[in-house]
Amino acid sequence: MDQEKRFLGVLTSSPFRIAIVYSILFSIGAVGLLGAVNFAVSRVIDGSTDNLIEAEVQGLREQVLVLSRADFIELVEQRSQDQDVRGAVYLMVDPQLKPVAGNVPAWPTAAEDQGKWVQFKISVPYGDATREHEVRARRFPLPGGFRMLVGHDVQERQDVKTVMMRGLIAAVAATLLLGLGGGIWLGRRILAQAGAISAVATRIMQGDLSQRLPVRDAEDEINKLALEINRMLEKIEQLTLGMRTVLDSAAHDLRTPLNRLQATAEAAMSQLAAGSQERRVVESVSTEVDRMRSTLDALLRIALAETGTVARERVDLSALVESMVELYEPVSEERGLRLQSTVATGAQIQGSRQLLAQLLANLLDNAVKFTPAGGCIQVVLHTANGIVELMVADNGPGIAADKREIVLGRRVRLDEARNFPGSGLGLSLVAAVAKLHGARLILDDAGPGLRVTLRFGP
Amino acid sequence: MHILIVEDDQVARDYLAKGLREVGHTVDVAANGLEGLQMASSLPFELAIVDRMLPKLDGLALVQSLRATGRKMPVLILSALGEVDDRITGLRAGGDDYLTKPYHLAELLARVEALARRGDGGGSEANTKLRLADLELDRMTRRVTRGGKKIELTAREFQLLEFMMRHSGQVVTRTMLLEGVWDYHFDPQTNVIDVHISRLRQAIDKDFEKPLLHTVRGAGYSLREDE
Repeated sequence: MDQEKRFLGVLTSSPFRIAIVYSILFSIGAVGLLGAVNFAVSRVIDGSTDNLIEAEVQGLREQVLVLSRADFIELVEQRSQDQDVRGAVYLMVDPQLKPVAGNVPAWPTAAEDQGKWVQFKISVPYGDATREHEVRARRFPLPGGFRMLVGHDVQERQDVKTVMMRGLIAAVAATLLLGLGGGIWLGRRILAQAGAISAVATRIMQGDLSQRLPVRDAEDEINKLALEINRMLEKIEQLTLGMRTVLDSAAHDLRTPLNRLQATAEAAMSQLAAGSQERRVVESVSTEVDRMRSTLDALLRIALAETGTVARERVDLSALVESMVELYEPVSEERGLRLQSTVATGAQIQGSRQLLAQLLANLLDNAVKFTPAGGCIQVVLHTANGIVELMVADNGPGIAADKREIVLGRRVRLDEARNFPGSGLGLSLVAAVAKLHGARLILDDAGPGLRVTLRFGP
Repeated sequence: MHILIVEDDQVARDYLAKGLREVGHTVDVAANGLEGLQMASSLPFELAIVDRMLPKLDGLALVQSLRATGRKMPVLILSALGEVDDRITGLRAGGDDYLTKPYHLAELLARVEALARRGDGGGSEANTKLRLADLELDRMTRRVTRGGKKIELTAREFQLLEFMMRHSGQVVTRTMLLEGVWDYHFDPQTNVIDVHISRLRQAIDKDFEKPLLHTVRGAGYSLREDE
């Protein structure tokens, strides 16, 4: 099947198509050229034969006037036997059409009449056998009711035409075959190069920025292109790694003091009596540290997803969705919500399992948080033609159409959401993780409620 | 237990050492990677807590060197990076657990207990039957009984109980449960784990006089016989 696919790939490749178009054009050219040559040659050969016969007819007509019948017969016989003029045909018949002299056995009866010209076939010895030869001739009357036929064996001419025609067909066939072969060869070559490029591109999209295009030892434009793209990839890698380094040091420089703050707060707490005013203050510091930590985690994850440098693996999305639904089912029930799911089996995508889990957790957290008791949350995963679609919908308040785009940006909390806990980065993270996985994110109205759809490409 | 802390941040190091000593551990500290490696190679520590970014010798390199020289003690990596990938690299380098800063001491202590238990040789790992008081879990037949009475559990509740029983007597935090039972590493905004625990509690404790599943305030849960 793979073989077949590759072959079909060659057939639809642009070099193959170009080669086929060119070989068809060349074939038309060859047909035209050989046709013209054939026409010219025919005219020259036919013309000269006809002239020869005309001259002979003229000569004999003059001779018949001056020679006695016996001498004329003698002359015709002589000319018939003359080996110098190859293919010359003579026949003299009496009024009863009985041959008198000449090298043709009988007056042609089935001759094709073309005015004064006739064309007929005679049998001539050919090795041990005989062969039919085409003869072109003129007939004219002689005194005393005798008749004369002067002609020429034109079989050779026919043979030349046949050979030329065969040559023409062979040439066209060879052109087409060469074109086809060349097209397949070029197509495979280009496909191999394009295949190598797209394989590398796929690995780069999967986060391996160290990949480079293969460069051959040749000075062609594809190679030059590959070198240019490699230089570009180098630049992208540097920039991305630079960004990652900045992220890492930002993370380190923020997490270290937060950790110190947490340690100090916890140490202080252990010194203070439970329920005292001072202890409550320190506890609120600790809570704020937790909140800062979760905001920092979310921001770092968004930034990381946006650098695209996250390691990817084969993720069984069906299993992931089922397990997330199962994780959130008790909490939904506790809040008086119904969590329904329809999950197609076997949906696999290339991606980060942890980030996809976080994405689902954010969507489910939101749905659980914003849907009033008695509501319903729906999770649907379905696949069709290599497209995987994940949908999480609730029948809560939803998001107004003009605000849907805004919530995907960094740190947006709608006024309606102020009374709910959270960092406000939930949907931004969803957007970043969707982008990392090349998925389209659509927010729309579930009528009522919010419906979030993620469409993963093939 | 004899524990080594390799941490360059003094405030964090002192607090950690104090916290571990308070619960009865013997603690030695090192302020950089090289010193940490020397100490870990020369003294019989039962557990090491290693910061990921250390002066002189990086925390990951330290763990790798330890593993290369055949030291098998459990290692808990502390990290100020803490992204999904960093966690994987940390564990691949030979770490047994990974904790992101800032952390609560309770979380760290719970993880240290869990690691120490694992370091015992994991005898419970091979046992098909786990037992606590009159509660019994058979991993082969997937049957749970309490006082001889069969308890019906969902597949996930079974896994949750198995995890709790393997850590019986210890404090298990919510993140430990999310990691250990679901294999997820994120902070849920809602109390998803608590609800799962309360369902499990319904199943195993409701009809019995002595509760086994306890809530540990500010830390998590513990499955134990209450004295």
